[in-house]
Order: sequence, then structure tokens, then C-alpha cells
Amino acid sequence: MSPRLAPSDDVDSFLPLPTAVFHILVALADQDRHGYAIMQDVGERTGGKVRLSAGTLYSAVRRMLDQGLIEELRESPDPASADERRRYYAITALGRAVALAEARRVTDLLSQARAAGLIPRKL
Amino acid sequence: MRAPDLYRVLLWCYPAPFRREYGQEMLGAFHAELRDARRAEHGLAIWASAAIWARALRDLVPTAFQEHRHVLMQDLRHAVRVLRASPGFTLVAVASLALGIGANTAIFSLLNNVLLATLPVREPRSLVLFTDPEAQGVAAGSQSGERSLMTYQEFLDLQRSSTTLSSAMAASSSLHRVQARLDGAEPEEVALSLVSTSYFHTVGVPALIGRTFGDAPEPAEGSVPQAVISHELWQRRYGGRADVIGRAITLRDGAFQVIGVAPSWFLGETVGQRPDAWLPLANLPTILPGRPWLHDVPGTVEKVMWLHVFGRLRPEATADTAAAEANVTFQQGLTRYYGTLPDPKARQGFLDQRLRVRPAANGANALSDFADPLWVLLGGAGLVLLIACANLGNLLLARTTARVREVAVRLALGAGRGRLVRQLLTESLCLAIAGGICGLALAFALRQALIHLLIDPIVLPATLDRRVLLFVFVLTLVVGLMLGLLPALRITKTPVATGLRDQGRGIAGSAAWLRIGRLVVVGQLALSLPLLVGAGLLARTLVNLQRADLGYAKEGLLTVNVDAQAAGYEPARQAQAFEDLLARIRAVPGVRVATFSNNGLFGGSDNGDQITVEGYTPKGDGDRGSSYDAVGPGYFSTLGIAVMTGREITAQDGAASAPVCVINETFARRFFAGRHPIGLHVTQRYADQSHTYQVVGVVKDSRQNRLRGLIEHRFYTPATQPAASISSVSFIIRPSGDGGAVLPAVRRVIQTAEPRMQVTRAIALADAVDRRLSQDRMMAQLSIAFGVVAALLAAMGLYGVLSYGVARRTQELGVRKALGARHATLIRMIMRETGWLLAAGLVAGGALAAGAAQLIASRLYGLSPADPTTFGIALAALAVVALAATWLPAYRASRVDPLVALRHD
Repeated sequence: MSPRLAPSDDVDSFLPLPTAVFHILVALADQDRHGYAIMQDVGERTGGKVRLSAGTLYSAVRRMLDQGLIEELRESPDPASADERRRYYAITALGRAVALAEARRVTDLLSQARAAGLIPRKL
Repeated sequence: MRAPDLYRVLLWCYPAPFRREYGQEMLGAFHAELRDARRAEHGLAIWASAAIWARALRDLVPTAFQEHRHVLMQDLRHAVRVLRASPGFTLVAVASLALGIGANTAIFSLLNNVLLATLPVREPRSLVLFTDPEAQGVAAGSQSGERSLMTYQEFLDLQRSSTTLSSAMAASSSLHRVQARLDGAEPEEVALSLVSTSYFHTVGVPALIGRTFGDAPEPAEGSVPQAVISHELWQRRYGGRADVIGRAITLRDGAFQVIGVAPSWFLGETVGQRPDAWLPLANLPTILPGRPWLHDVPGTVEKVMWLHVFGRLRPEATADTAAAEANVTFQQGLTRYYGTLPDPKARQGFLDQRLRVRPAANGANALSDFADPLWVLLGGAGLVLLIACANLGNLLLARTTARVREVAVRLALGAGRGRLVRQLLTESLCLAIAGGICGLALAFALRQALIHLLIDPIVLPATLDRRVLLFVFVLTLVVGLMLGLLPALRITKTPVATGLRDQGRGIAGSAAWLRIGRLVVVGQLALSLPLLVGAGLLARTLVNLQRADLGYAKEGLLTVNVDAQAAGYEPARQAQAFEDLLARIRAVPGVRVATFSNNGLFGGSDNGDQITVEGYTPKGDGDRGSSYDAVGPGYFSTLGIAVMTGREITAQDGAASAPVCVINETFARRFFAGRHPIGLHVTQRYADQSHTYQVVGVVKDSRQNRLRGLIEHRFYTPATQPAASISSVSFIIRPSGDGGAVLPAVRRVIQTAEPRMQVTRAIALADAVDRRLSQDRMMAQLSIAFGVVAALLAAMGLYGVLSYGVARRTQELGVRKALGARHATLIRMIMRETGWLLAAGLVAGGALAAGAAQLIASRLYGLSPADPTTFGIALAALAVVALAATWLPAYRASRVDPLVALRHD
């Protein structure tokens, strides 16, 4: 069972999410990763359209840690990995809720555009 | 250099905390990216690596900026928390800084207006001035060397012949205040500036509504009865309505139609003047009847120089080429005018004139006299701010020292010293910025208060421009950094181990703080003394000036100026009109004695001509000329100037009698040493005219125009003799009792007897002299304020340091008392400490004061910059204030309870 959100967490206050933040949350949604793995996942998932530089990634990571959207793991999630230098990050309940809210927001936008005839039913 | 090393260098763009936290990760990720890119096919690998570098470089600036901003916001939030935790200290600090920064800003803003600000016109840097920017008024006669002002004819010659100027304009160097009816209302005084029709075109100022005079050639006299009014007059008298165009401004001898309104930001070409309206020069006969100032009258040598002349340089021209061309035209004009003089020496003298071209971006300046005093005041205000910053810096240092354990803990936990220094500097900058914002608001009010310290308020734009805002910004930054410097230095010197051992008393740092604190106090005392000495010197100068011996009693004397030429009187009628008026004024109840003179007393005008003295051979240029005045009968007895030998000018010295003169004692000493002057002759020369007078009397020296400087040699001629040829006089009246009712009665007599003759000025002599002292008064008042504030601030600093010292020595004092030390002994011990601090401060301050006093030497009157009385009083005052500040800590030290003290932790 995923941890509950604290009553004071206002998910809507984070919207709209910056692109880099959304992609990092998506990358961490299915598994915990270190920084470079996040960069690789984002690149692969978007077919190379979105590539995060180290500066962009870690600046976003610092902000997301402060905001409680992600957390740093004390131990590597992959005990078999010999790479102890790398720091691993995991999405928090708040992060998951915020990512979900952003996805819903974008979906709503897409529906409105379809309803207005701006884009066809199937892109 | 390898790629990772290069990236490591780029990481220095990020703030240290971020670098420490994520630098290794970023380096690792970047290295991994490059490694994976190289695994691609060879050609693609290069592009992939290039893309990685491009991404890194493109994102570097925005992300580094974000991180720096994040750290700054953290520091700001921390600083605000710390300052909110001690509201009392924060309030006092911000208030002190606001006062200091506000005072400096107010004075600088005045300096900016007076000296630095450029005219708000099109391309001010291409404007040049052919006259002296500080010259004002009207000079009739001639002038050798560089010309201060020009005549109308000379301006026309320049305008017509110039190829280096795209346009030229002339403007009267003084405003003309006349009585006018605006739209048929009751007469009121308006200030008019007479200008050429090219005026607004040359300066590049369009009308706000309506139009200006265009760029037509100068019109014939009286043919352009039009006026452009100022924005202020438009708002005040016409309610800012657009239907002002076409309205009439009516003077006694003519009416003008309003054709346009100037924009609110344009106040004319002369700093310190604020005309209500601009009228073409061709209207002079209507505004000032009887003044033939538009013509250089042929056959005489009397030129009337009263105009400033500006030009706008063509793009290809320079000031030097404009000057060369203008001087050719100017010399040709002089040759035409003076070339027919029979005396070659006189002719050469008149031809020895030239124009000097100056940059005119700042315009002409009626306030240049205020520049030096303002610089002095700015220096004083700067010192006060420095002393206030020293106090606050000491307080901040004390607070930091008390937090030394907290600092040591943070250092032990990995906080960088640089980060802590930055946080401290952020705290002090927050204080400074708050003080700067409040100071800027205060500057508006202080500026107005400064202006009102002068009797005749300076007319200056009310806005603060970019230069002033920049001044405030830089001052605030410097203050903030200065305040944070001492605490920051303290932090960098705190050994972690020592700080952790500190048991909360701050003992580890308190000795160091005391040392620094004492040094700061000595510095404050040293800086206060020059301010007190300066205040004393300027205050005594003011008193000396107020008590200056004029050679006659100024109390009670009244002066009333009238202008017969402006009233349209023929020259032949003028002298008789003045004599008739004098007789009527003498008959006014309450008038004890009365007389008149051409230049009056402290009216700002004087006469001077070349002279030769019978039996005297001139030794230098100073012997070839003399100031003089034409005076009415009983002049010296009315003023109360003693006649040393011979007689004064009487009613018998009229048009039909022999020309006579009276000389002052300086004149007698200089030209008649060893001889009896009575019966000898003085000849006054102007070009080919000369008048010879027989000396009939010698009078005591007196002052008619200047309070400062040596009294010059001077002679007096009867105003009623034809040689005088005066067209305006000042009646000088000594009432028998309280003269309150006399001035209005005299005005009524003049209005009744000679309705056309306007009273141009009516003032008590004491008030006229007082106006001359407005600048000295402002300097004295402000420097006293600065001196007092500085001394109090230094005393506060001394009190703080001594109090802390006493608190720190509580145990020691308790032990001393327990061992039998008496109250007096402990008091003496503390006072001795003060004595050393005071002595050090006074010695350093004395040297500073001696140097600073030399800077204001030219402003002093009746005393030298090293005046021992003033120095002694300032030293004593500072010593008293310092000792008073010491008394309470010393008293507390003497009252320490040994039992309490020994338990003190």
C-alpha cells in the first residue's frame, strides 16, 4: 500500500509541472534510479526528443527533494550493483500524486482540443 | 585538457553548496553520457558528443542562475528571520541608516541639480555656450578679456554668419519680474524670460499644447506679441485647460497672446531660474520701457551686455571650430563699434575682448555659488554616515561574537566559512537595503527642508533622476558591505575547537571584540572632532558676518528702489524727479532722515570706471580704476558714516555747481598718502568721456555691497549732477522709531507723486544683508547638526564598548571590591580606560580637523582655520560628551555586589 499524502499536501499547487520534473517523476514511477539512469530513461522513452543535461537534471532533483516529490535512498536498490558512489532516488507518494494530476491536466487539454476539432480523434 | 576536467571547471559556475552536493554525480553522469556516445559509429559519435557538450553549455547559465538564486533566497530568508528576532535592534539600525543615507542622498540630489544634471533637451551634448554660464544680470559699458554676456546685436551677427551652428538662440541672463494681469485678473508678479524666436527650436523642446515661436528670423521690435507659458503657470492659473491658447497676458504697456505651453520637465536653460513665461526679445520695449537694450547705440561706447547665447553644433563641427568662427564675427563687430575711437590706447583696450565657447549640456547656472557648500556638506554627511555605520558594525560584531558557539557548531557540521560570511553579509545588506529604501523616501523631505533653509528658495526640479538613484544604490551597497565586514572577519578567524569549548558566554571572542570595538570607538571620536570643529568655525563665521561692521548702523535702515527709465522718464527729467521724491519722502511722518544713491545698499549692483588722480603715478592695474556711486544730499549723515575731513555731499551740489566728489579713507591712503586730498582732483574716464571732480571730503570706510573681503577704495559723486546720468535710484530711509509703518507710507507717497514709477524693491537693510547670509546660515546650521549627531553617535559607541567591558569584568570587579577597593577607585579605573581612548581619538581627530579646516578656509570670516578657541571648545565638548557616556558604566562598575559577581557565570 502506498503511503498516504499528508493533509497539507496541495497537489494542485505544483501544476503545471515543468517538463523536466514530469519526465523525472515518470522515470521514477516504475523503479528507483540513479541520476544517469533517469537521463537514459527519459531519452529512450521520448525517442531522443527530450534529453536532460546533468545540470538540468540535478537542479530539478534538488528542487524536487526540497518539495518532497522524490526522496534519496539510503541504500542502493540493487545490492548486486557495485556502484556505491551513485545516489538513488525514489518517487514519493506526493510525487506520484502530482505526476498523476499533471497527466490528467494534459489529458484534459487534449480532450478539449479534440472537442474543438483542433486535432483528430486519433493522432 | 580532458573532457571531464573541462566539465569540472564549468561546475564552478554553480554555487559551492550545490557543487559539494551534486558535483560528483554531475561529473559522473556527464562522463557516462560521453562514454556511451563514443560507442556509436565513428561519424555519429562526434555529432553525439558535440550535442552533449552543446546541451551542457546551453543549460549551464539558466541552471547555475537558478541555483545561485536559490542560495540567495535561503540567505535572505535566514537574514529576515534573524533580524525579526531582534526588532529593537533592527529598527534602530534601519532608522540610523535611513537618516544617514537620506541626508547624503538629499545633499547629492541638490548637487546633481546644481552641477551635474544635463538639460532635459534634445541632444544636450551638442549644445555650446558663448557666454559665461555663471554670469547674470546686465552689464553696461565694456569688458576686457573673455566676455561674460553678449549684446542683442552681437547675437544677431553670430546667428546670421555662423556656418558651424545649425541654430543659435539668445536668452536674457536674468528673469524680469513684472506686474501682469492674466486673463484680466488682478495684477500679480510674473517672472519673464526674454528669448530669441529660435529659442525652443535650438534647445529642441516642443510645446506641450499649442506651439512655440518656430524658427523664423528675429522679428522687428514689438511685432510678435506672443508668449509661451510654463507648465506650472498653466496648471496654477489656468487649471491646466486646453483653452489657454489665445488668452491674454497684459502688462502696463502692452498685451501678449498665449500661443503655447511648455512641457512640465522644461524649466528653462538656466539652472535655478524658473520663468513663468517666455517672450520674444523683440518685446523688450513693452516689458522694460526705456531700456534700449536691443541696440548697440552708434556714437557711444556703451554696450549693454545681458544675454546668454547658445548654439547647436552641426554634426561635422566642433566647439573649437565654432569658437574660431564666432570670434572672427565678434571681432568684426567690435571693430565696427569701437574702431572710430580717436584714442588708440582706449580703442585697443575695447578690442581686447573674445568669446570663449563652453559645452552647454548643463545649461547656464544661477546656482553655481551653492556647489562648494554642498560638497562640504556632502563630506560632513558622509562622515556622519561613516560614524553611524561604525556603531552598527560594532553592534553586529557583538551579536556575531555572542553567536560564536553556534558558528563553531555549523562549521563543525560542514558549513563552509564562505557560506557563513555570505549569510552575514546578506544580513547586513538587508539592513542597508531597508535603510536605503527608507532613506530614499526621507531624502525627498530632507531635500525640501534643505531648500527651505535658504531664504530665497531654490527653484529646482522635484524629481530624483537616474544619477541620484545610482548614488543611493552604490551608497547602500557600500554601507551594507562595510557593516558586514567586521562580523565577517570575525567569523573567518573563529577556530572551530575554541568556539565549541565556549560555554555560551562568548568569552573566546569577547576579548577580540573589545579590541576591535575600542579601535572603532577611537575612530569614531577622531571623525567626530573635524565635524565639531567645522561646525564651530562656520557658526562663528556666521556670527562674525552678522556682526560685521558696515561702517554704519544697519538696524532700522530701509531701502526703496525705483526705476525712472522703465517708467519712461526722459534723462533730463530723471534727476529732478528723484529730488522731488526725496523731498516728499522726507516729509513722511516717522522718517527721520532720508537720501538716495544709484546702487543702494546690498542690492547687488555697483559702478566702476578708470580713474586718474592728481599728482599720483599708478603703480599697477589696481591703481587705474575705482568703484564709485552717485549719491544724493546727506547720504553720509543719513547712513551715519563719519566725515573725517572736509564735508559731505549736500543739496547745494546740484546741476549748476562745480563737480565734486567725496572719497573714502582707503582711497585717501592709497592715492593721497602724505598729502591733504581736499581741493585735489579725481578724473573719471570711460572711453572718450571724462569727468573731473574736486575732492571735498574724506569719509570713514564703509560697506555698501560686500560683507567679505577688504574694503576697496571708492569715491562718491552727487547724483544730481549731469555727469552721474542715473536712471534708477535706491532711497535710503532712517525712521525715527519703529519703521513698520514707514515703508508702506513711502510706497504710497511714490505711487501718488509719480504713478508711473514702480517700486522695484522695498526691504529693510537688515533683511537684505540677512539674505546674503543664507548660504552661510545653511552651512552653519547643518554642520552644527552633523557635529552634534556625530558626537552623540561616538558617545553611544563608547558607552556600548565600555558597558560590555564592565560586564565582562564583573567577576574581576567583584573580587576587587571584596578585597576592599572603594567606589571611587573602581570609577577612576574605568575612567582611566576612557581617558586613553579619548586621548587617542582626540589626537587623531585633531590632525584630521586641522586638515579639514583648511578645506573650508575660504568660507571663514573673522577667524583662521586654526582658530584655537574653536578647537578648544570642540575638544572640550567632545571630551564632556565622552566622559558623560563613560559615567554610567563606571558607576555600575563601582556598584558591583561582590557576592553576586563571584557567582557570575
